[in-house]
Amino acid sequence: MHVLMMSMYAAMAAVVLAAVDPKSDTTRQRVRHGLKIFGSFLGIGLLLSWLLFPVPW
Amino acid sequence: MQPRDTLTDNIPSHFPDRTISFDEPRRFPLARRIAAVLAAWLVPGAGHLVLGRRGRGLLFFVTIVGAFVLGLSLHGHLYWPAVAEPASAFHFDLITVLWFFAEIGSGLCYLVSYALGLGTTPIPVAAASPTFEYGNTFMFLAGLLNYLVIHDAFDIAAGRKR
Repeated sequence: MHVLMMSMYAAMAAVVLAAVDPKSDTTRQRVRHGLKIFGSFLGIGLLLSWLLFPVPW
Repeated sequence: MQPRDTLTDNIPSHFPDRTISFDEPRRFPLARRIAAVLAAWLVPGAGHLVLGRRGRGLLFFVTIVGAFVLGLSLHGHLYWPAVAEPASAFHFDLITVLWFFAEIGSGLCYLVSYALGLGTTPIPVAAASPTFEYGNTFMFLAGLLNYLVIHDAFDIAAGRKR
């Protein structure tokens, strides 16, 4: 459930952030930028959850 | 036979400072700029539609309204600035002000839902749902992303980007 929600959150944020990116001129560049944002959200989220898992509070 | 007129064959190259390329960003009239920003706040993506960016407008509408509706369906709450208890110098509970600011960014999504009584279940009751925090997060996301979209519409209207 949590990973699904995280993925949906990452996908929605990535779509908008990539579409408003002023440095991307073509659709191809926007798609690539969006995929990078999506991957970063998921990667950093999973890394943080792995690091914080042993924390007891 | 009359020779071809080289001037009329390629007028833009003779008057580069007087021709407008459709690839270049252009500044919209003030009324249209104001209309775009207001429309962008009220309905996510509508600002881009006003400026003729239909594809992007539709994409923003589907994504942001989708995030808001998903948040509501996950029992998210529509926040309103609450008075601080105990009384503080700021008068309002700061966290509810921030949550309200995040959610009101989605414009009519917030206002219509509030008018219909959706997402207005008292917090202790709503918080009993296991998806309450997920719902809030998606509704905050929708509002905050729409602030970016409003800014993007303003940039396009002001001729800063295509």
